[in-house]
Amino acid sequence: MKCLWFLVLTVLCLRCEAAGKPRRGRGSMWWGIAKAGEPNNLSPLSPGILSMDQAVHATLRRKQRRLARENPGVLAAVAKGANMAVAECQHQFKHRRWNCSTRNFLRGKNLFGKIVDRGCRETAFIYAITSAGVTHAVSRACAEGSIESCTCDYSHVERAPHRTRAAAAANVRVWKWGGCSDNIGFGFHFSREFVDTGERGKTLREKMNLHNNEAGRAVLSIPNNHISLCTRLEALVLGNRKIFTVSTPHVIYLPSLNDECPYSMIYDVATCGDDRPTSSRFVTICLIHVQSEMRQECKCHGMSGSCTVKTCWMRLPSFRSVGDALKDRFDGASRVMVPNTDLEAPAQRNDAVPHRVPRRDRYRFQLRPHNPDHKSPGTKDLVYLESSPGFCEKNPRLGIPGTHGRACNDTSIGVDGCDLMCCGRGYRTETMFVVERCNCTFHWCCEVKCKVCRTEKVVHTCL
Amino acid sequence: MTGTIIENLSGRKLAVLVTFLLLCQITCFLIGGLIAPTPANTQNILGTVCKDANKVKNDTSKWYYNRGKGSCEIIDLDDMHHDLSETDIVFAFQMPVPRQNQILDFSRWQQNLIGVLQMDIRYHSQMEVRPRSEVTIDARLAYRNKGDPEDSWQLYTQSIEKRHLDCEIEIKTEKYLYNCSAIPLFELGSLFHDFYLLNVRLPVDTPEMNSNIGHIQDMWLTVINQNGGFTKVWVSLKTAFFPCIIAILAWFWRRIYILERKPVLLERMLLSLGIALCVLNMPLEYFTLHFDLPFMLLLGDIRQGIFYAMLFSFWLVFAGEHMLIQNNPTQSSLKQYWKHLSAVAIGCISLFIFDMCERGVQLRNPFYSIWVTDIGTNLALTFIILAGISTGVYFLFLCYMIWQVFINISHKRQSLPTMCSVRRLHYEGIIYRFKFLMLATLLCAALTVIGFILGQVAEGQWKWDENIELEYTSAFFTGVYGMWNIYIFALLILYAPSHKHWPVAENTSDTQNLSEEIEFSRISGERTSSEISSLTSFIRKTTID
Repeated sequence: MKCLWFLVLTVLCLRCEAAGKPRRGRGSMWWGIAKAGEPNNLSPLSPGILSMDQAVHATLRRKQRRLARENPGVLAAVAKGANMAVAECQHQFKHRRWNCSTRNFLRGKNLFGKIVDRGCRETAFIYAITSAGVTHAVSRACAEGSIESCTCDYSHVERAPHRTRAAAAANVRVWKWGGCSDNIGFGFHFSREFVDTGERGKTLREKMNLHNNEAGRAVLSIPNNHISLCTRLEALVLGNRKIFTVSTPHVIYLPSLNDECPYSMIYDVATCGDDRPTSSRFVTICLIHVQSEMRQECKCHGMSGSCTVKTCWMRLPSFRSVGDALKDRFDGASRVMVPNTDLEAPAQRNDAVPHRVPRRDRYRFQLRPHNPDHKSPGTKDLVYLESSPGFCEKNPRLGIPGTHGRACNDTSIGVDGCDLMCCGRGYRTETMFVVERCNCTFHWCCEVKCKVCRTEKVVHTCL
Repeated sequence: MTGTIIENLSGRKLAVLVTFLLLCQITCFLIGGLIAPTPANTQNILGTVCKDANKVKNDTSKWYYNRGKGSCEIIDLDDMHHDLSETDIVFAFQMPVPRQNQILDFSRWQQNLIGVLQMDIRYHSQMEVRPRSEVTIDARLAYRNKGDPEDSWQLYTQSIEKRHLDCEIEIKTEKYLYNCSAIPLFELGSLFHDFYLLNVRLPVDTPEMNSNIGHIQDMWLTVINQNGGFTKVWVSLKTAFFPCIIAILAWFWRRIYILERKPVLLERMLLSLGIALCVLNMPLEYFTLHFDLPFMLLLGDIRQGIFYAMLFSFWLVFAGEHMLIQNNPTQSSLKQYWKHLSAVAIGCISLFIFDMCERGVQLRNPFYSIWVTDIGTNLALTFIILAGISTGVYFLFLCYMIWQVFINISHKRQSLPTMCSVRRLHYEGIIYRFKFLMLATLLCAALTVIGFILGQVAEGQWKWDENIELEYTSAFFTGVYGMWNIYIFALLILYAPSHKHWPVAENTSDTQNLSEEIEFSRISGERTSSEISSLTSFIRKTTID
């Protein structure tokens, strides 16, 4: 009984805390870990190693702290992932008005500034890239062996960590019987646990964050070889790029057509329902459901090294290609709105104990496109709720620095061109002599021989 | 006179036998699909960049690793340390990697270990990787066993190897990675120790060495080992099949021994095929659990090679023995088939030489590969092409002979109506069963090929149902293995000499038939010693007629 009271009190307290801080980016404070490693924030006691010092502690939620405690070494990986994400975001947006600037880490403030409070495209990208960054970095750390708690095969093991001797023995049995190789699986699931902690999926904004976090991870998902005979797949008719849904029983699998389409099949249109892709009876379609940035490598090791026995594995892509893929998704992001069915949700707020959305159901929601003529967003699409603010002028309320003083390209007609970048305010042109390294020759590993060149450079800066 | 069992077996008994064998076949397939895991497991290991603090660089007693007592100082290649030289950098791969807070170790059931190296090379406009540039790798492999101190690594083998680096890039922009092909690094025929450690250095001893390999960002090692569960299922199958084939062989040999005549060629071929299967089925893998036997990979290849050579020779002789009409009817011997069999021999010998050059040398140096040098590649390709050509020639011979047999049979069939009804039925039965066996062979071969192609197209698991997961690759291996075992069991049983005699007494009603019967018996009786089946005798008789 005591326990129950304690539970109720704790839950109520949590609710008070949540109500007291109406910040929308409540699940995203962990981004600050990226800057926690920097000298002004790192405690002098542990140089080089991120421990649970005060600065890190402050950025993490209780569950995240527990996860960090249970998985030694994971915090360094998360910090690395967050740093990679920030660097990648700044690379992808270096020629745009919003250049993914981060503020110096200050307690209680968001790393990317107040832009995160708005549910716009840029926020969607930030969520996706940070989620992908954690997945990538944790997978890498598993492969290196610097996180010892990586799972053997996530699908067969319960979420709760087993510390009993029997479970340990079972673990060794699994390894000796069927092996372990699931680096990316752990990265994926850890990212879900860690990154999605604050997002309970109740409000629309939380749904948006969850969706974008998932979309970021989906870039790194393992292509699904386990196509069940009853799975419904998203497919793409080659040629006219129409996306539709098919079910698998009436298809013949073909090997890869090209790099873009790792799995393809002949589809008999006569078997599909109302969603007919073309007028011809048989079409070759590409299964985009199984598409991702992961690359497959194989090795033959049969009799005399022949391909009677072939083993394949997935290669972790470079984070740059992950960033590229997400930037494409950013350009094609869909605006969504509240589905009608979710409008009744606030009625539950009157309950004494807040209704927690079950873990697995958290990801089961369908967002409705803002424009009813558009297709509903897929799992890999980025979604946003409101249009982006203008990034031209300094806006302290939204934490936008403006494009004053940004460099631009006077010949480009794109977003990096001076017309668009400077928002029509005009720009200043200066000719400068720059001293830089040039004609470098590298020698493995560490020797770089460069000449010093003095070049004339024309620099345009926005007024 | 005596025939073989297949001729005297009633249709019902044959059906029962075939059903039983089919059930065995399905069991083999399901054992692989439902019990066994995938045949091999891969682990992707990211190399830890360690700082070689040792003054003496060629010291093989100093090892670098990232876990456990005495782990190395880790450096980050991203921020260029200008105070480092290439001799200070060691990529360390400690295998297996830990899982679920446990230090895993290799089990001897996991049989073998293959290492493939992959380099993540970052694009630099001033440091492009040239196509087919050569990378020199100083690779050292160490081992440790359970119970040893964490820093007592023992040298297993070391070698300085050259490999070709095939890299390409689509978007030539800074910080993009090259798409480099995997480099096969080593193959260990035995996984005897518990832990292994690979230290990789990229030496620059001459100015050209390792000069065009670009900016290496990461090095990945993918290790492939056979799964312990798969080995267990596989060895169990072998253990089950081995006594069976021994028993059947003994029974077959006794049957021939009591015949009071020398065994004919086909019987001797069957016997050698059985012995080859015995060699293949011998569960020698049990020895690897107690002894370090690095030659197991090579031995496995040789055992399989002997079996295939015998099977191919048998098919030739089998087809030939049912066609000998024009040839002189003396005791047929292997010499008559030398032209056909030389194709098999050339193919096998060239594959054997290739295997000795690759896996044979790997016994001395696990890092060796014949494919890295141009001469080696040409040599290997020569042997493989030679083997391919002789396989092609062999199949041409075989198809020609089978076609001839069928022509013969259909030709002789026309003379069937002139015979008495009982004998005609009997001969029709024999032809039917001969064709039946032909069909079985074709079916087995076709199933093997189809299964292989299906496995290549959709590798991995197949799900028939939400609850039943079928491990297709393993199912294919156990299925095919079981199929050829059962096929040879069936051959040995059905082609063993029969005790039964011709039912002469049953058809005395027709005198004409009787006279033909006697005549036939006389003619065939002349060559009892040289004939295995009455089908051949039938064909020869009608030729004489």
